[in-house]
Amino acid sequence: MKRLMVVAVLGLLVVGIGIGAVSQPLKIGITKIVEHPALDAVQQGVIDALTAAGYETDVHVEYIISSAQGDLAVASTIAQNFQAQNVDLVVAIATDTAIAAAEVFRGTDTPVIYSAVTDPVQAAKLVPSATDPSGNENITGVSDMIPVAAHLRLLKDLSPDITRIGIVYNAGEANSAILTAMAEAAAPDLGLTIVTATADSTANVPLAAQSLVGRVDAYYVTTDNTVVSAIDSVLAASEEARVPFLMADPTSLAQATLAAGFNYYDLGLTTGDIVIQVLSGTKPNEIPVTYVTGGQVHLNLDAAGRIDFEFPAAIVEQAASLLFGGVVWEQQAE
Amino acid sequence: MAALWIHAFEQGLAYGIAALGVFLTYRILRFPDLTVDGSFVTGAAIASILLVRYGFDPFSVLVLAFVAGGIAGLITGLLNTRLGITSLLAGVLTMIMLYSINLRIMGRPNLSLLRVDTATRIIKAVWSPLGVFSVLVFIALLTIAIKFLLDAFLRTELGFALRATGDSEAMITAQGVNIRTMKVLGLVLSNGLVALSGALVAQYSGFADVGMGLGMIVTGLAAVIIGGTLIRSSRVGLMTLSVLVGSLIYRVAVILALRYGYVVGFQASDLKLITALLVILALVVPYLRERRMRKVSAC
Repeated sequence: MKRLMVVAVLGLLVVGIGIGAVSQPLKIGITKIVEHPALDAVQQGVIDALTAAGYETDVHVEYIISSAQGDLAVASTIAQNFQAQNVDLVVAIATDTAIAAAEVFRGTDTPVIYSAVTDPVQAAKLVPSATDPSGNENITGVSDMIPVAAHLRLLKDLSPDITRIGIVYNAGEANSAILTAMAEAAAPDLGLTIVTATADSTANVPLAAQSLVGRVDAYYVTTDNTVVSAIDSVLAASEEARVPFLMADPTSLAQATLAAGFNYYDLGLTTGDIVIQVLSGTKPNEIPVTYVTGGQVHLNLDAAGRIDFEFPAAIVEQAASLLFGGVVWEQQAE
Repeated sequence: MAALWIHAFEQGLAYGIAALGVFLTYRILRFPDLTVDGSFVTGAAIASILLVRYGFDPFSVLVLAFVAGGIAGLITGLLNTRLGITSLLAGVLTMIMLYSINLRIMGRPNLSLLRVDTATRIIKAVWSPLGVFSVLVFIALLTIAIKFLLDAFLRTELGFALRATGDSEAMITAQGVNIRTMKVLGLVLSNGLVALSGALVAQYSGFADVGMGLGMIVTGLAAVIIGGTLIRSSRVGLMTLSVLVGSLIYRVAVILALRYGYVVGFQASDLKLITALLVILALVVPYLRERRMRKVSAC
């Protein structure tokens, strides 16, 4: 009896291996610089988009997911490992990992799809042009550039008293430096001035945020990984100063007075759509850089109440969601 | 898989130059120097900005990076020997200063080298007959040349004085050697090597980033200690060789962890754990074998 079972199991195994060999799943390497809620959300978005399009995990597609755990040296090694394992496509999340992958897969025909790279053209030099993809070679992807000027305009619309905008950021983060420079460039035309405070580590964020109390009429934080990790301290400082705090990531609405922009899961879904396009035969040099729009506004009425701030009616009407009494209320578009 | 081993050796040797720098302070001078987390980036930053902005030759920037790193070492050395700041704090202070200085040098936190001709890219094109080995041969020649230069230096009278400074300050002072000068010299050379390694790694990986030096002292020390445990010798040539071997082992561990970790069910977040476990394995196996040998001979 026992022997019979062994034979049966072995038989099943052989059949199983046979099926596996018939339809070899596609191999996709996903590389990210560090474990981080936003970057993990991008990764999940990519996988969910592929699953929704019929690419079932471990059946049609196999993922090799690697994180450099903050060690930039490992970013190159991860890309080289993907190459050695003959992956069919690489998804590179964040600027450093994207450049490392681009360097390793240069001149090959393995497509590299980057995501969450703020400025893939001027700064990262991943692709030569934002609009014309013909020089892309094997690389294309999604930028997480946020509409900084639109956010500043939103702050200006909150109250005519708002003229000085405080930005807390880490000058060592490529994405943050670009976004802050963009804010400084856009501010004069809107009649705003930007006051910055830098924090080189999460531990220094509270101090940087505190340093702006009394010197600014509103706080603004972009997608800065360092500051986002200590975002509660920025909210605390803004409440001490009794000024509103705009966060450029809706997932952090509970820790801000208001939030605008897209969330990183949607960015992952968009990246996944590009992966699907490439898997179905479109060449990366036919796909220009994708910029995510998502200009929705989300208001935290609880936080506004704590500083006795009242949102203008027009902005409340526009808002996609309201946080009130600890609950998020979605507003239906008319 | 063969290609992956080649890459492991490329990186092991490229980072091995930085490990030689750490060896110089930690082992020879017995000075725990934390400047390296900053000077590694300084080398990468100087090389990258000269390549991107000023169109310098990618090989000469390696030399200029060495000089810049030397200046960083000089600052730590002066803080320690002239201003009486303890060795650890002097290194930490310079490292902190370098963070801002590196940002100034690059003008931004991250510089992409994807659109310039880097040393590795030129080597790939010019030494194309060597195929996949071209970059490895280049990095190996450079690293081995540096190793032998360092060996030769440590055998000169000045080199002896440097080694003696780490062994016994009292004895070497009695010989009429100025310890302070020796310490500064060691720090200059050490950080020069670390910065050169940074310049090479930046060109190899295609970018410089202000965060790329994070933990460099830890991996450097790991290489020195792994190598020193496996090859026990007080001969200069074998000591520097052991550092390179240690650096190689560390990179091979990373690659093995990446390549086979997920096969045996590890997650992406387990990378550092597996890397460290592999290093422990590399250290423990020779140790246990030695102990068994000793037991056998005792019988």
